Amino acid sequence: MTTAGSLSSELRDLYTVESARIREEFASTGNGGMAIAQRTGLVEKITLQLWREIVCREEQGPRNFTLVALGGFGRGWLFPYSDIDLLFLHADRETEQAFKDRIRSFSQGLWDLRLKVSPATRILQECDRFDPANVEFSTSLLDCRYLAGDPDLFTRLHDKVIPKLMTREAQSLLQSLAELTRARHEKFGNTIFHLEPNVKDTPGGLRDCNVALWLSLLSSMDKLHDWPDPKSLLSTSARKQFEPALDFLMSVRCFLHFRHGRDDNMLSWEAQEEAAKRGIGVYETHELTAADWMRIYFSHARSLHRTATQLLEEIPAAWSSLSRHFHNLRTRVSDADFSVVDGLVFLRQSSALQDSEVLLRLFHFVAHHDVRLSTTTEYKIEQLLPSLASTPPRGAELWLYLGEILAQPHAANALRAMHSLRLLTLLLPELKTIDALVVRDFYHRFTVDEHSFLAIESLHRLLQSPTEWEKQYAEILEELEQPELLYLALLLHDTGKGVPSDNHVEGSLAIAEQCLERLDLESSERETVLFLIANHLEMSAALRRDIFDSATIAAFAERVGTPERLKMLCLFTYADIKAVNPDALTPWKAENVWQLYISAANQLNRNVDQRLHLDANVDDEKMIRLRTLAPMAGKKVKAFLEGLPQRYLRTYAAGDVLRHLEMSESLGKHPIQLDLKRGRHWFELTLVTNDRPFLFGRVAGTLAAWGMNIVKATAFSNQAGTVVDTFYFTDRFRTLELNLPEWERFKRSISEVLTGETDLERMLKSRMRAEEKKGTPKIKIKTSIQVDDQCSSNSTLVQVVAQDRPGLLHTVASRFAHHECNIEIALIDTEGQMAIDVFYLTANRKKLSRDQLKQLEAALREALQGIS
Amino acid sequence: MTKIEAIIQVSKLEGVKNSLHEIGVEGMTVLEARGHGRQKGHTEFYRGREYTVDLIPKIKLELVVADTMVEKIVQAISGAARTGKIGDGKIFLSRVDEAIRIRNDERGEDAL
Repeated sequence: MTTAGSLSSELRDLYTVESARIREEFASTGNGGMAIAQRTGLVEKITLQLWREIVCREEQGPRNFTLVALGGFGRGWLFPYSDIDLLFLHADRETEQAFKDRIRSFSQGLWDLRLKVSPATRILQECDRFDPANVEFSTSLLDCRYLAGDPDLFTRLHDKVIPKLMTREAQSLLQSLAELTRARHEKFGNTIFHLEPNVKDTPGGLRDCNVALWLSLLSSMDKLHDWPDPKSLLSTSARKQFEPALDFLMSVRCFLHFRHGRDDNMLSWEAQEEAAKRGIGVYETHELTAADWMRIYFSHARSLHRTATQLLEEIPAAWSSLSRHFHNLRTRVSDADFSVVDGLVFLRQSSALQDSEVLLRLFHFVAHHDVRLSTTTEYKIEQLLPSLASTPPRGAELWLYLGEILAQPHAANALRAMHSLRLLTLLLPELKTIDALVVRDFYHRFTVDEHSFLAIESLHRLLQSPTEWEKQYAEILEELEQPELLYLALLLHDTGKGVPSDNHVEGSLAIAEQCLERLDLESSERETVLFLIANHLEMSAALRRDIFDSATIAAFAERVGTPERLKMLCLFTYADIKAVNPDALTPWKAENVWQLYISAANQLNRNVDQRLHLDANVDDEKMIRLRTLAPMAGKKVKAFLEGLPQRYLRTYAAGDVLRHLEMSESLGKHPIQLDLKRGRHWFELTLVTNDRPFLFGRVAGTLAAWGMNIVKATAFSNQAGTVVDTFYFTDRFRTLELNLPEWERFKRSISEVLTGETDLERMLKSRMRAEEKKGTPKIKIKTSIQVDDQCSSNSTLVQVVAQDRPGLLHTVASRFAHHECNIEIALIDTEGQMAIDVFYLTANRKKLSRDQLKQLEAALREALQGIS
Repeated sequence: MTKIEAIIQVSKLEGVKNSLHEIGVEGMTVLEARGHGRQKGHTEFYRGREYTVDLIPKIKLELVVADTMVEKIVQAISGAARTGKIGDGKIFLSRVDEAIRIRNDERGEDAL
């Protein structure tokens, strides 16, 4: 055997024996830092022996040629199966040519030892150039370390070329590094919360650690024009979390390499089980479950990710000119409390956060403007948490702000920021159960908390989506009266997964009830949130049946109950599926969800007049609630509800039903009972009176005469002929909004029109004259009148779709009255410029005949043409 | 070896899967599909707009099985998926030249 051959054999034996020893030691200690240091030393020893054998036997020789360790090898972080990054550095082309063959033999020698080498060859001059297409080489130089060869050449590289390059190209390097990092984060969904993360590349992994160190180093080199003291790279507070996180991830990566026998950094479920059992990276005395071990992982990943992200964002700001800084202060995004510089929020007064209202407004600001908190702001919030924990904001005040935050376009980012700072679980302790919770199934890709944030985010993103089918969903999202309730339900819907239970929905409901109680939501709002959580899987379940089958649709619609809840449930289903993983909501699924939605919506509008008959004991939830609220009013409630449509009970909360009952009992004092209140989006006028012809049309006309725009309305009547009509309208000219005394005059006006004391037509004339001057609308809606004589056994359904305009409802309702049609039920809705009005009509308590329908349709078309 | 491709109604998937499990068939590929034969489409009006579904959502199952199992599997699928109405779907059979298990390079029926 030749000398080279015996050396190779010797080195192979050395590598094998020592690698086994390092592996055994790691198996016993779990100390990743030590394992990688030992492997680095081993590979270095082998490299140097081979160098001396093949390239040059002289100590510190040959001249003008040096061997440099780069990347992980240069840092001293050689993981068990990592590549070995080497730079063959020459002073000039001649040296490069002279040593070409020896370099080939040297590299071959390393490959023969099964060491995966990533070699680069450069002359010194080339190292001074920055190639945007090869950022990795420039950043790898930041970790360069002398191994063998000409030390002077290395010194020139290290002390002159690199500092000069980094100073000159710092902006470009940082930009490129930032872009690469953002692209990598984007590839992994911009979240650390993967159920099976890649501990190197996923956000919060070792690559983010490298990025953080490079960014710090570049920043320091720019200021000093030289290498800084390594200890000064990160602040003390950053180092406190960074170093333990790094130790942990090093141990995990070593574990994975040894486990897989290759450079595979995927922390699969099986690997998580084993890591937890062996206590990799942790020093707990008791055995951890995989879920608990992963929580530790995520906690460290959070620290690394946060450090890397902050450095990515803050370094450009540190180089801003003073004028740019002041310009940012004056931008419209900044306000009296918060200033925004390069997308980062700073507090104008650091003591302002003592006021919890300012703290909540800060996150509202983040959610509204899509900005991030600066490191200093985060630090101040962290300082505040212990005192906030003793008296956290709660109740209606907290809900007021939280609801606003949830409704903002970038709510998910604000929630993530609050969660990362531990503020969210302080305000909503119910979310602790799902904090970094790993629940394994083949579909979900993210932890439960991240899934909830993603679901919220996917709905907000709908409004910017260009795809046709997502635009349909966006339309119904914009119609929601209280979208914040939907977002709150999404936030709480999987909290049950964090508690032991057979059925996570039951668990989530129990937890949500506590939360809603603490937030002091109104009873109707609580009912909505709980309904959504209780039924959040119903639509997916219905999709597994025949969605074109009327029985399936009827059953589903029955369960949902009202169009508003149907819209919310449809959007909930969209968001929940979308947040499972990026591919979960296929166009196939989305179209089926939409198909089910429109079928159920039509079902709800065509099946409205199933009446309540309370002879049998109705155990509806609402009835139970009514009995609880008014135990002595049993008979009166029964009498009032008898004959009202089932939709009535689904539309109104128990409290509202009792109020209507009170109003009906006061009809003896005054035959027209009116209740007016201001809602979040519009005014709400409820009329309780005895039915009579032209009633609905006259109220609609009076509202039009006052300049009100009716957006929704419902009209129901019971067996005794008492009607409950509710009109939801916007106050176009702010008459009621700015003049409280006008409220009484307004109600009196309606009352007088209904009793005949005031001439409605005269009121309407002057208003219509003013409206005519406004000109034609930009979007033209074609009038359509549809009749369905089959959907109800005792009424005829007429649906009118037309251009929304003042007086429309009065015109339509008046035509019905003129043709002696009684409005049994009305469901009025507006979608942008489109009015969608559904009426259940009878004539002499029967369905309309064909002739009656024909005449009515003709009259409606004529009337609608007349006012277009 | 034979490839079985079955187009079935969405609502029949669980039933077909159970039937196949009962006769010892565990491996299959499930694909979301749309289509129609003689089954007519579906039109729905919503808010004045017409929504027409010409291609009805279906599920396509794919299995590659030993020839000796083919008839048994076809019967299991048909039995579970049949309603007797138009729209029940179809089953197609085709020959497969070779099958290879990626994990360990097993070939032929051993790879199934």
